[in-house]
Amino acid sequence: MNKFKKHGVNICFSLIVVGLAVMPLLLIGNVVDAPLIIFLGKCMAFSIVAIGLDLIWGHTGILSLGHGLYFALGGYGMAMYLKLQATHGAITEFMHTGGLTELPDVWKPFQSLPLTILLILVVPVLAAYMIGYFIFKNRVKGVYFSIISQALTWAVYSVFIALSPITNGNVGITEISSITGKIRGPTGQNNLIILFYGSLAILALVYALAVFLVKTKFGKLLIAIRDGENRTYFSGYCVSRYKTFVYVLSAAIAGIAGAVFVNFNGSITPSQMTIAGSINMVIWVAIGGRGTILGAVIGALLINLCEYNLSSGGMIEIWQYIVGGIFCITILFFKGGVVGLFTDQIPALMKKAKGGKSDAPIG
Amino acid sequence: MPRLDKPVYRPVKIPRRPLIREKLPDSPKVNGDTLLKINHISVSFDGFYALTNVAVEVKRHVVHFFIGPNGAGKTTLLDIICAKTKPTAGTVTFYPNGRDFIRLTGMEEHAIVREGIGRKFQVPSVFVNLTVLDNMALSLKGHKGIWDSIFHRTAREEYERINTVLQNVGLADRKDIKAGSLAHGEKQWLEIAMQLVQQPELIMLDEPAAGMDKAETEKTGEILKEIKKECTVIVVEHDMEFVKQAADTVTVLHEGRVLMEGNIHDVLADKTVQAVYLGRGGER
Repeated sequence: MNKFKKHGVNICFSLIVVGLAVMPLLLIGNVVDAPLIIFLGKCMAFSIVAIGLDLIWGHTGILSLGHGLYFALGGYGMAMYLKLQATHGAITEFMHTGGLTELPDVWKPFQSLPLTILLILVVPVLAAYMIGYFIFKNRVKGVYFSIISQALTWAVYSVFIALSPITNGNVGITEISSITGKIRGPTGQNNLIILFYGSLAILALVYALAVFLVKTKFGKLLIAIRDGENRTYFSGYCVSRYKTFVYVLSAAIAGIAGAVFVNFNGSITPSQMTIAGSINMVIWVAIGGRGTILGAVIGALLINLCEYNLSSGGMIEIWQYIVGGIFCITILFFKGGVVGLFTDQIPALMKKAKGGKSDAPIG
Repeated sequence: MPRLDKPVYRPVKIPRRPLIREKLPDSPKVNGDTLLKINHISVSFDGFYALTNVAVEVKRHVVHFFIGPNGAGKTTLLDIICAKTKPTAGTVTFYPNGRDFIRLTGMEEHAIVREGIGRKFQVPSVFVNLTVLDNMALSLKGHKGIWDSIFHRTAREEYERINTVLQNVGLADRKDIKAGSLAHGEKQWLEIAMQLVQQPELIMLDEPAAGMDKAETEKTGEILKEIKKECTVIVVEHDMEFVKQAADTVTVLHEGRVLMEGNIHDVLADKTVQAVYLGRGGER
């Protein structure tokens, strides 16, 4: 029992991984259809970004409402590579329309896969470092940080819209296949399965990294910063450096997530970096359970699966209200989210029930 | 006679220029037994001088109390020593044992802590969601960088040191519970213990006995006497019983100035001190 308590969270994550790993087999057996697999792929991408967000919000207490920015930066990087694969390195149609005659310089590195993968990590990291360094050095915190992160996302969104010859503005980069090739239609099934397992492996790796980090002294320091920033400074730690580090780390994770997402989605638009998108990510983490890593994964899967099943038909109009309602209830009554429900609240109830019984004969 | 039960804040008019421009020698000569030299510190918040020309020397291995009525500038003085507040004029210099002197003014908080100065806050501030043991482990001396925090494992000797310190403050059997569920007094002791485990040369305590009952206060006094053997202690305190129990040297601050300094008996006997501070106890 104690062992289960200790490793319960990781066992639970393993079950999720096994459950996801079975899905492609069901696809081969024709039990489920390809769109569901593609959708689950996107969910995995959302889980990855949620893990990053949990590190910075759940553990360190910094509420970033701008992680859509890093998600989209990673996504655009991947999409540019895939687009150039589709056009065989030639200039795209929207660039023609925008009046360009040759490939813009920013697109050139994305002709090679290794460089693309590097840039998917480096661009969000650099952006996050520049933002984080100044914000945290100047001790901006709490709601002020949230507002700044939101505003920055909006600013970059506007830039992407404005640079439409390069980014295709509102429409974004579309008509791209995945890194393993075409995944849609009956001919793409094998490619889809390979892509799915690859993404699952990335999810597992990111999860393992996050769990490793929070188990170390570093993870405890993050909680220390959340609980008492001043005390942490006066314990001899340069808090701003730690905050910048975890912010950059979560941005890198978001970039990876964006890249995974694009492979399944087949397109990327600036709408991925809107404020609404970033707030959605926060909602996943809150509902799954802040500060547990597993909660981020569960929250992202749960909310998106519900959305997939419910938001068609009559529910589409009220779906946003349902999510909003669940979010409010979680914040008000279940601070630990889904995970907290199982680790704290239900054991407490059981203890109460048990205690009541054992008290009765004495009384 | 002015009413003394409510401290009256009188903005003190001080000619600013001489204070700021005053060139002070950067390495003031001190005796070998001085650990900390507060060198003519003044601090003004929007024109109101919270401290005016405060000059105090703190000796090694003593318990040095700063007392005074509310608003006298005691906490501000601690804030200046540990760089939480920047002084308008003056410097604070630290003379660690066997090393060159260090000018604390202008340094960053965490760097000052690493030089061997610990600070306990007025409101007990411990990491409530971590266990007592984790609280202590985070406070250990050294290994404060990011890579160290990820890859360094706390050594057995370090755990032994934690155990010793926890025993000294009487929290050894509460190691594995969350710091948030400790009683108020225990949190205060834990925070003191967190400073001790850093092995500082100077430890500053802001009202360590606040909110404690008589027995707890007495225990805190005993802890202070223990600490004194290994480092110097600066205490800001209101409770006169506690001051009498533990103080070696007392500096009385009043309206941001040093009113007097000496041992506890001289301070208690002083007429001015009685008037501005101690007399209030009798009026109640």
